[in-house]
Amino acid sequence: MIERTLLIKARLGLHARAAAKLVRVASGFHSKVLLKRIDGPGGGNVSADAKSILSVLMLAASCGTELQASAEGIDEEAAMNAIDRLFDEGFGELGPEASR
Amino acid sequence: MMEQLQEIRCKGLGVSEGIVIGQVLRMHDGTQHVYHWKIDDADLEAERRRFRAAVALASRQVLTIKEKAEERFGKDHAYIFDAHLLLLEDEKLIGDIERHITKEHANAEWAVKVVGDNLLYLYSQIKDDYLRERGSDIEDVMRRLLVALSGAQPGNHSLSEDAVIVSQDLLPSAVAELDLEHARALATDTGGWTSHTAILARGVGIPAVVGLRDFYRRTKTGDRIIVDSSRNEVILHPSAATLKAYQAETATRARQPDIADLAAMGPVRTQDGVEVTLRANVEVPSEFDGVERYGASGVGLYRSEFLLARRGAMVSEDEQRLAYEAIAKVAGEQGAVIRLFDLGGDNLREQFQEPEKNPALGLRAIRFGLCNEDVMRRQVRAILRAAASGHVKIVLPMVADVSDVRRAQGIIQEEARNLRKAGRSLGEVSVGAMIEVPSAVFMADRIARIVDFFELGTNDLVQYTLAVDRGNDEVADWFRTLHPAVLHSIEQSLKAAAHAGIPAIVCGEMASTPAYAVLLIGLGATDLSMTPSSIPRVRRAIAGIDSQQARLIAGECLNCDTADDVENLVRERFTNRWPDLFPSMSLPARGQSQ
Repeated sequence: MIERTLLIKARLGLHARAAAKLVRVASGFHSKVLLKRIDGPGGGNVSADAKSILSVLMLAASCGTELQASAEGIDEEAAMNAIDRLFDEGFGELGPEASR
Repeated sequence: MMEQLQEIRCKGLGVSEGIVIGQVLRMHDGTQHVYHWKIDDADLEAERRRFRAAVALASRQVLTIKEKAEERFGKDHAYIFDAHLLLLEDEKLIGDIERHITKEHANAEWAVKVVGDNLLYLYSQIKDDYLRERGSDIEDVMRRLLVALSGAQPGNHSLSEDAVIVSQDLLPSAVAELDLEHARALATDTGGWTSHTAILARGVGIPAVVGLRDFYRRTKTGDRIIVDSSRNEVILHPSAATLKAYQAETATRARQPDIADLAAMGPVRTQDGVEVTLRANVEVPSEFDGVERYGASGVGLYRSEFLLARRGAMVSEDEQRLAYEAIAKVAGEQGAVIRLFDLGGDNLREQFQEPEKNPALGLRAIRFGLCNEDVMRRQVRAILRAAASGHVKIVLPMVADVSDVRRAQGIIQEEARNLRKAGRSLGEVSVGAMIEVPSAVFMADRIARIVDFFELGTNDLVQYTLAVDRGNDEVADWFRTLHPAVLHSIEQSLKAAAHAGIPAIVCGEMASTPAYAVLLIGLGATDLSMTPSSIPRVRRAIAGIDSQQARLIAGECLNCDTADDVENLVRERFTNRWPDLFPSMSLPARGQSQ
């Protein structure tokens, strides 16, 4: 198992659209991928299955939140790298939102 | 092909005249009450299967929507539907619902509701504002699941020859999508005389009965149905005898609009020679024909937001210009009054914007335009350019006071200058104010000094004066068109216009009802705009009355204490004075005025 700390840079946090991207990426790997809020809403340690959008949404992770990510399985290295990259790119929606 | 079913008669309110024998086409509006019932052990597997089938159906629908959205708005905007798809595939969500069915012996609808409500509750606890709002995605998916479970088919409908649309409530956008040329009648559970369904049905000239309460759930698409607006009734599974009687009746009445009425064009004169202009309210192109057919003096109100309801927020300036040129052509010499987008909270908002708590009092109509200047400026430019070749006017929706008007006028003047600078051809456009909120009534004399004309939207005026939502059944008893407060507001606004020497068009649904139209004349109106198919009736009524007498009656009404008093007075006076025009049965009874 490998673990890494990830920072949410997406301006709007892990909302539905970003969460959908994350779930699509995570689901492409065999490994089990978990995300855990280091602070945790209400102080508790909430952990989410990165392949379940509901679970990711329930993390309620806003911009600036730090998450503890773990991947475990035959392709854990690749899975973690892919997810790391997604976080690093801010889910493709950094900066002023280009919608509209 | 079907066994003989018990005939069911259901009473409602006929809001658009006519009788139609046809087939039910159910349309779901997406919201519904969810009932709870117990599933026996033996049926649990079947219930879970039913649920899984609904999930599969919902997924297919979202996939189609997603593909369409990608095409139209690009991949990035369509991503939201990817989230919806993932929710429908989510092991935890789907598993939770299935487990709830099993454990609680609950029907699938109930399980969806309980699990969904729990999730929404958890979501509502989230501290981040933006993320919390995203609960709406979960809600959207839950709603779609419930629709799928109900067996209804949202989206595109291909209408059979004799389709009668049956729904709980029809959203304007849903109605706009419908090919109303082919719908034969409408029947809805909610709504009243001035609900959107009613207005559209009268506009297109198809029968409609609304306020049928729980009719929708009793129907299946394909059921035989009779819609009888004159008896305020719908009949489901009519017996052979009923059917025969109705077939005979429709054969004898078979569309017999008075030829003399149809031939009459232009303004109408009362017995004492007061000239009254009759204009047409239109929104969808299928109504355009009616302007000429019913002899309207141009278009008194073009509800432009339907351009958006059909195509989303992406209507370009040129597309709009073409639409306005088309409406100007329909309106002819008398011109068309184009109301700037009267967008409520949700019409133009994207998924990501937060819904308003109280849209009727929120960022809508002119306020929306002033806060979304790009949208407003684009529309203004399109209208100014259309004015180069046709007669069009602008009316500003829901202005609250003089400063709303000034700001809007500033934008219009600026855009005219810009167009001129760019060498574009444009025409002169007069600008009027909709008077439909109490503050505008109080300030009517000031507003009248700075605009070219008034337009009284009586539907909203009733709603805002009485603080009653006209779409809400629970308060239907408080929605009283003939409330003395409403009559005073109308009179005061008309007076202010007359004093300033500007015209005032009364354009709400009130003008479509002959008795009310006569009362409006009594209050000082001489310019009415209504759904085109109502023009012959109103024309006949006005031609038969004396405006001085109408004034006397209106004066008495203004002195009444309650809406009941006004209604009784109108009924009594009208029947006495003009028994041929208003036999007692023809006057809207209490309830019909609502």
